[in-house]
Amino acid sequence: MLYHPFINFMVEQGVPLQTIALLLMLPVVATMVAFFRQVIGIKAFGIYTPSIITFALIAFDPNGLKYGIAIFISVILVGMISRYILKRFRILYLPRVAMTLSIVSLSILSILVFGGIQHRTGLASVDIFPLLIMITIAEKFVATQIEKGNRMAFILAVETLGISLVGYFLIRWDGLILFVLRFPWVVLLTFVINFSLGKWTGLRIAEYIRFRKIFKYIQ
Amino acid sequence: MLDFIRKSHGLLGMNARNLEYIRPLNRKKNRELADNKLLCKRTLKKAGLGVPKLIACIRTHDELESFDWTTLPGSFALKPNRGFGGEGILVVYARKKGRPDTWIKADGSTIAIDDIKTHIRNILDGSFSLANIPDIAFFEERLTLLKTFKPYAYKGIPDIRVIVFNRVPVMAMLRLPTQASSGKANLQQGAIGVGIDMATGTTTTAILGKGHIIEYIPGTRLALSGIKIPYWKEVLKMSVVAQEVSGLGFLGADIAIDRERGPVILELNARPGLSIQLANLSGLKDRLKRVSGLKIKTTERGIRVGQNLFGGEIEEAVEELSGKRVIGSVEKVKLIGKDGKEIEVEAKIDTGADSTSIDTELARELGFGSAVEGFKSVIAPEDISPERESEIKKTLFEKHKDSIPDLAGISVVFSSHGASIRPVIKIPFIMDETEVLASCNITDRSSLNYPIIIGRKNLGRFLVDVTK
Repeated sequence: MLYHPFINFMVEQGVPLQTIALLLMLPVVATMVAFFRQVIGIKAFGIYTPSIITFALIAFDPNGLKYGIAIFISVILVGMISRYILKRFRILYLPRVAMTLSIVSLSILSILVFGGIQHRTGLASVDIFPLLIMITIAEKFVATQIEKGNRMAFILAVETLGISLVGYFLIRWDGLILFVLRFPWVVLLTFVINFSLGKWTGLRIAEYIRFRKIFKYIQ
Repeated sequence: MLDFIRKSHGLLGMNARNLEYIRPLNRKKNRELADNKLLCKRTLKKAGLGVPKLIACIRTHDELESFDWTTLPGSFALKPNRGFGGEGILVVYARKKGRPDTWIKADGSTIAIDDIKTHIRNILDGSFSLANIPDIAFFEERLTLLKTFKPYAYKGIPDIRVIVFNRVPVMAMLRLPTQASSGKANLQQGAIGVGIDMATGTTTTAILGKGHIIEYIPGTRLALSGIKIPYWKEVLKMSVVAQEVSGLGFLGADIAIDRERGPVILELNARPGLSIQLANLSGLKDRLKRVSGLKIKTTERGIRVGQNLFGGEIEEAVEELSGKRVIGSVEKVKLIGKDGKEIEVEAKIDTGADSTSIDTELARELGFGSAVEGFKSVIAPEDISPERESEIKKTLFEKHKDSIPDLAGISVVFSSHGASIRPVIKIPFIMDETEVLASCNITDRSSLNYPIIIGRKNLGRFLVDVTK
């Protein structure tokens, strides 16, 4: 018996196995993001962005990593450049984000075309939905730039990519997927984990580093 | 490693700050006060606290179009009501000569009404507010830089962040704007944070930006420690009162000091940052724990608790280095009388006086009444002069030492009223846990503020801090 009977039952009802696997992995990925924030101290753009980027990377497969990372970096770079261009015009927030999104999507389009010219058909034929998800990250990025400044937005973008990559490898780990499909109830364990994360008041690892200079002065 | 973890217990991290302090102590209703600057200003003003004066308020695009620009003064600060991190603030210093519609900014560049209008439109549309909700723009008076801070601050106005918990000011730091922070007193943007000794309001250690420990203002030899914050008591009082009226159980009050108006509250913060621990090189959690559960009945009591618990680091350091006790200009002393009787009085520490002088009445109480009475019969020679001082002392002492009990010497005092002689007796006293055997001359001090002054001869084991 490969899968849990309940999984088999769902498959028999016509739910694709892929869908079941990804939906069961979502709590795992979300818990991982929470762990990164509360215990390690890596912030990223909230919980939605790193989780959705994780699944976008999966959707880009078979060349998920290569193209996914390339497109993510392009979106962030173009987002940063657009801010510099649009800053001087002093335009209101939503029109500015709309223009940023337009610039980003046109740039991505030209990257795809350029890829086609270079006979990188894999790049040109990537799925549109993960692509759109990647592009809309630009809004999150612009909002963070305004709230916390360029430097912080860039750091958070890198952290987001980092967490998403860990998430990607987690989902790509066949052993884990098989384990979850065989014992789907383990997903409920994420509630226990999140409950304790939510009550955890200790210092984050990043804070140990941030405050390391104080330790000398405390008796 | 274990030691490392034990030490970390005193530090306040994000998780503990949010879960144990902000969540239970800063309710949504009260947080609104911290996020809404106009409301905050009104509430604090009603409570009698100083705030920057409001000049005008623009709520809608219509109000902007009909705004009478001639009502604006030469200098002002334009702010978004729900701005954060100092974003969207525009400060002008003066009107350009002969141009009623143009102002001069901090960097010397000019800004015309049209540019200001665009800026206000941005504010109204929520460009600087959290989640971009439509906002209100307001003009308020521009604060002027205090002379004390002038050498330390780059362009902007420094402010003092005080963390208040359970009516006790627990930690504070002075934030100095730098070139890197473009004149903003914001550590995230590269300002300098300087820790403050809660008891005295004197600065201690400092960090640049998010955690680089520094001793001097970068590029200068201006030391960051030892800056005495003016109006310190007032600053502490305002922050505690601000906590009382705001209902924020865990508050970060930002207070600036204006050259003319003294301390004013800039804003209240319901989610104060944690860098203050680095500036003070001290853990906040440890301090919060020591204060939590205390029943603080009055504002004054809260301030005193904060000063007593979280101050004195500087003094301790000085005492350790010099081996001497640091005392103030008025100190409590315990005098030990003849039959072991102890009397505690306030003494004036007088580094201008040579020797210690004690009131007749006090000497009597200490059991030296017979010495005082006996000395009444001593007749002072007519011709007292500085040249004959030692001779007079010697002859008078030889003559009376057997007849007057406890007499340890004669003192000759020259003052503007002429010369006089006084009896000297030896009295041990305890000041700041240090015992000194003092030769005190006895005189009538009943019309003076303190029954005893302690002079240089008995201050060898102390350092005097006149601000204490």
